[in-house]
Amino acid sequence: MLEAHNAVAAPGADNDALRERLDSLLRTCIQCGLCLPHCATYLATANETRSPRGRLLLLGEVLRDAPAPVGSDVLAAFDDCLGCHACEATCPSGITGDLLDHARDLAADGVKQRSLVPARVLDSRPLLAWLGTLATMTRGVLRRVAGAAWRQRLEGCPAPLRLVGRMLGTVPAASSDDRRLIRQLDTLTGQRTPTVDDREADGSGPSVAFFRGCANAALLPGVSRRLRSLLRASGCLVVIPAGQDCCGALAAHTGRHERRAILHQRNQAAFADAPACDYIVVEAAGCGLELRGYPDPPAGTVRDASVLLDSLDLPAFGTVPLRVALHDPCHALHGQGIAEQPRRLLGRVPGLSIQPVAEASVCCGSGGAYALRHPELSAAMGRRKARLLAASGAQLVVTTNPGCLGQIADGLALEAPQMPIVPLSDLLWYAWMRGVVASARNSA
Amino acid sequence: MAASGPNHQADELLAASRQAVGSARCLTDAASRAVYARDSSHLSLGRPLAVVLPRTDEQVAAVVAACADHDVPFVVRGSGTGLSGGAVPGDGAVVISVVQLDDLGPVDVLDRRVRVGVGVLNDRVSSHAAPFGLHFAPDPSSQSASTIGGNIAENAGGPHCLKVGVTLQHLLRLEWLDAGGRRWTTGRGLVCERGIDLLGLLTGSEGTLGLVTHADLKLTPDPVETATLLAVFPRLDEATTAVIDLLGGGLMPVAVEMVDQPVLEVVEAAFGFGFPTDVEAAMIVEFAGGGEAVAEDADRAQRRLLAGGAREVRLAADEHERLELWRCRKKAFGAVGRISPCYVTMDVVVPLGRLPDLVTAIGRIKREHGVKVATAFHAGDGNLHPGVMYDDRDEASTRRAHAAADHIIETALAMGGSVTGEHGVGIEKRHVIGQQLEATAAGLMTGIKELFDPRDLCNPGKLVPPAGTTYSGGRSLPSQPHYRWDSLTVTAPATTPLAEIQATALARGFWVPVGLGLRRAGRGDAGAEDAALTEDAVGTVGDAVANLLPGPTVLGTGTARDFLLELWGETGDGRAFHTGAPVFKNVAGYDLPHLLCGSGRLLARPLGATLQLRPAPETVAWWRFRAAAFDRRCLEPLLAELGRWDGARSGAACLGELTTSTATLTVLAAGRDRAWDLDRKNDALLAWARQWGLTTRDGARLPCREAVNLLASDAIPGWAGQGADWTLACRLIDTPHDEPLPPPVTRFVWNAAPRLVWLPALVRDAAPGWFFDPFLRGGVVTPPPPPAPSVPRSVLAGLKALFDPGDSLDTPDWLRAAATTGDSIATRVSTPRGAPDA
Repeated sequence: MLEAHNAVAAPGADNDALRERLDSLLRTCIQCGLCLPHCATYLATANETRSPRGRLLLLGEVLRDAPAPVGSDVLAAFDDCLGCHACEATCPSGITGDLLDHARDLAADGVKQRSLVPARVLDSRPLLAWLGTLATMTRGVLRRVAGAAWRQRLEGCPAPLRLVGRMLGTVPAASSDDRRLIRQLDTLTGQRTPTVDDREADGSGPSVAFFRGCANAALLPGVSRRLRSLLRASGCLVVIPAGQDCCGALAAHTGRHERRAILHQRNQAAFADAPACDYIVVEAAGCGLELRGYPDPPAGTVRDASVLLDSLDLPAFGTVPLRVALHDPCHALHGQGIAEQPRRLLGRVPGLSIQPVAEASVCCGSGGAYALRHPELSAAMGRRKARLLAASGAQLVVTTNPGCLGQIADGLALEAPQMPIVPLSDLLWYAWMRGVVASARNSA
Repeated sequence: MAASGPNHQADELLAASRQAVGSARCLTDAASRAVYARDSSHLSLGRPLAVVLPRTDEQVAAVVAACADHDVPFVVRGSGTGLSGGAVPGDGAVVISVVQLDDLGPVDVLDRRVRVGVGVLNDRVSSHAAPFGLHFAPDPSSQSASTIGGNIAENAGGPHCLKVGVTLQHLLRLEWLDAGGRRWTTGRGLVCERGIDLLGLLTGSEGTLGLVTHADLKLTPDPVETATLLAVFPRLDEATTAVIDLLGGGLMPVAVEMVDQPVLEVVEAAFGFGFPTDVEAAMIVEFAGGGEAVAEDADRAQRRLLAGGAREVRLAADEHERLELWRCRKKAFGAVGRISPCYVTMDVVVPLGRLPDLVTAIGRIKREHGVKVATAFHAGDGNLHPGVMYDDRDEASTRRAHAAADHIIETALAMGGSVTGEHGVGIEKRHVIGQQLEATAAGLMTGIKELFDPRDLCNPGKLVPPAGTTYSGGRSLPSQPHYRWDSLTVTAPATTPLAEIQATALARGFWVPVGLGLRRAGRGDAGAEDAALTEDAVGTVGDAVANLLPGPTVLGTGTARDFLLELWGETGDGRAFHTGAPVFKNVAGYDLPHLLCGSGRLLARPLGATLQLRPAPETVAWWRFRAAAFDRRCLEPLLAELGRWDGARSGAACLGELTTSTATLTVLAAGRDRAWDLDRKNDALLAWARQWGLTTRDGARLPCREAVNLLASDAIPGWAGQGADWTLACRLIDTPHDEPLPPPVTRFVWNAAPRLVWLPALVRDAAPGWFFDPFLRGGVVTPPPPPAPSVPRSVLAGLKALFDPGDSLDTPDWLRAAATTGDSIATRVSTPRGAPDA
């Protein structure tokens, strides 16, 4: 599956300088192992070569043994790293993910990429939307033929069918289907919640340029629509700049740096042409992190939707008496340090309680294109995450990233099929709608 | 790098391991072998043959058996967070990772215990128990990553072990595999269990005697209140003196932690908490417990620290700030990696009173050797982690650092200290513990290793010093009790009456909290002071150590096992030995004091011991209730209430005499004569009495130092002193809680902590779910009762032969029979749980 080649073999001044730099970075690692319980791949495999400390030890061996060829087992250990950066948060020596990124680059050069779906497919939003519709329809058929436990039954099948099940399970939703997310909330609360017409912004809030993102735009357009509606109801003027494209993160994950640069330029142009706004609001944490890392940042300040919502005067919320488990996407928690805001937002919903979850800061195993390249390991991480979320005693999982949403939905389908997962913005929108219903009832 | 050539034995072993765990869980690739060759210690011995990742006890047993069959050494490993190289394999060994033995059993809330797999992470146990208001007390700085198995292997400590003790004090029973892969337990898991204590021996044995798979852990109630002080000291020597002043002044914080300026600077740079960096020391002092006592103690501590030279003492404003302080402390040492590529992490312990001397000496050594040292202290324990920094690319710097480290060790040993308090011997200190161990004790340790692991397959090359080591340690036993008030210890010959120790200590506000023995009939002279104690049937220090308790007792918060630090003894064939050290933490070598504590006189005669002194309670109160129409159901709520007082470490007691219709109950409790303590306890008792129709007869309060008079007075019912026969009753694991006392009982003495029941008669009829130890017969202590069937008889017989080759000490029938069972260890593969043990 993996083919090794000699990545650090060529002796030369550049290589020596890099080696020296890496070596001195490595020396700050005291090998304490505090990173182990934060690493999703270690937890899923119980194998220390799949832990941050193990990978750094291997990187040390590679540097020491150079120019000997790097073994395929070492490259596989690097390649399995999700890049979630959860290990950084806990490292007493302050080692940052750069070190592992170098190791991963080493692996990316040395390993022939293999992916369930060619990464290029993901570049096309219409193709992605079409795939989403296809997946949703197939799921509908399977549900009818094999019953509610269709996903579990596929899991018992031979490997190719298992992979089909995995692909179908991790697609978050599709345009034809995303109202289902709200129906799940109605099922839990025993209510029927209408959609109220959009309101005009009253101009009391900031003006925001909306970044559409690929997965959200293609697979969860309803979620985006409801978020914009909630933003308007909170006083925001929402603009959707034309000509925007993928943020470039997927291209980065799949090692296509030229395409990444093109996408950066395209988005910079799109946001430069749009009317000046206070913020660029981003739904997916992965896009947010990428946008914030643009070498030449687009005009306006990039804000994660949860951070922006937390700073707004939200419309009155009705009671949503649910126990909720919150999953933080790594790109929000470890990438952008977003931890308090989503919790404060949930705290604003009357009747709602947040359940503590074990291994809360550990990655779900989605990791953008990672899930396509490491289907089995990714699935194992998703199931572990789902088990722990289900064990929290919550009735519902909430998260803020479409990748995590699909990944955890698939894990839950196998481990706790009765437990739904919805985007945070949908839950807030729902609470708003409950508020509208309640005030209508009071004034009647 | 690769295993040298085709090796038939190795191939067969790998085939067997793959069969046991599946080939995907038996790793032989170069990457795995490189990673598992290392742990936190930066030490390595070689490359392992393979790494296996079993998921069940059965799989572990199969792998161990395969190793034994093929004569291949094995090393058990948790998260590899150890600091002495305990989990590092030699060339060609098999690494058995037990991280997947991570099951958490249901929490037994009333008995405060839980059974867990050894792969469970330390802090997961506490979060598992949190919904019930309980936690697992040992909290090494690695607790977020280290496994329970690793904690057991090293007998781990942690900041909060000052008040509640190290890992061993929080274990009830281990399920373990011997070197052949056969499954055993260490006993019945009772709160007080006499016998040859394999639990004490295996804990801290670093995987060199066998392999633990599951453990029954004691859980500790969460404190109601916590107060955390941060004190900064311009001068390090004043800070260390202030610690002695604090503890010697009768305050008992749960933790006293300290860092010196180099550590402080790193921590501040890394975490930006807001510590001043122009001071020589920062100290965290934490009080925890029930209600207002915490604030009262914190207030006293604050004044003492300021008087002792603190520039500022600040109370953590809220839980967030408190946790932040602890986060800084727990990550302090890791942060040193930011300023130095390498450092020798030391783990020396000295008697508390010598702490200032050692700190001064380290300052001198630092200058002499020209090295930089950053020190983190578990100051209350006298346990220091000086990190001697060096650059491993510079040979001279490396040499200087190691010379300085050796010098620090010599200095600590000269002060009566220990080479290692919690990190273990491992590879790192194997060559230095010869300086600490006494020759006879070291010989016994070597004998123990040979007995458990004759082919040297269990984690070879660790803990036990190499052959040819010279042993120059050992201390002589004083002929008179020797009290060290600044170190909170007392060293006494075994013949010293425990009462004498208690009376002297109580006069200064301290005691050994094993309880006050009840008086004996016909001997108590109510007029004479200390009569109750001096006349006690089992009243010497030696008895307390050999048999765990001074007989029937009240107000104790533990047994001698919890307070024993150092032991002098004599084997059956007359070899005198010394083992342990007069320090609060010590993991240098096998824990012989705890192997022998409670073993009666089966293996050795105690000659003397060092015990830990603790602040005595201020006041003792008693109440007497009587019921004309007695309802037995009233006992459960009463005993539950007493068991909750002071976080279950109160030592409250209840003496009862029941008939079918009437009852007399005497309740004793210790505490403070304040509205929020004894008054509140009084109210609770009176409310209980009203509810169940009991009348209050009489009662009183008196200072603790006069408690001896109380025991000799009419307050204590006559029968509690009249019997010469006493039985100790303990509830077995998994017994339902519907009865707080073993049925049927008419007279009893019930102790809250530890929860056990004394019956004034010889009880032989087994009550289901209870274990009876016929402790005293005719006023004489009996030898320990037969151990549980799941304890290996051949090991016990082997220990007997090692310590008492001529059978000149007590040899009860069960032990004699064990010696003749021959190879019982090879034939008995037990299913430990649920085995009938009575």
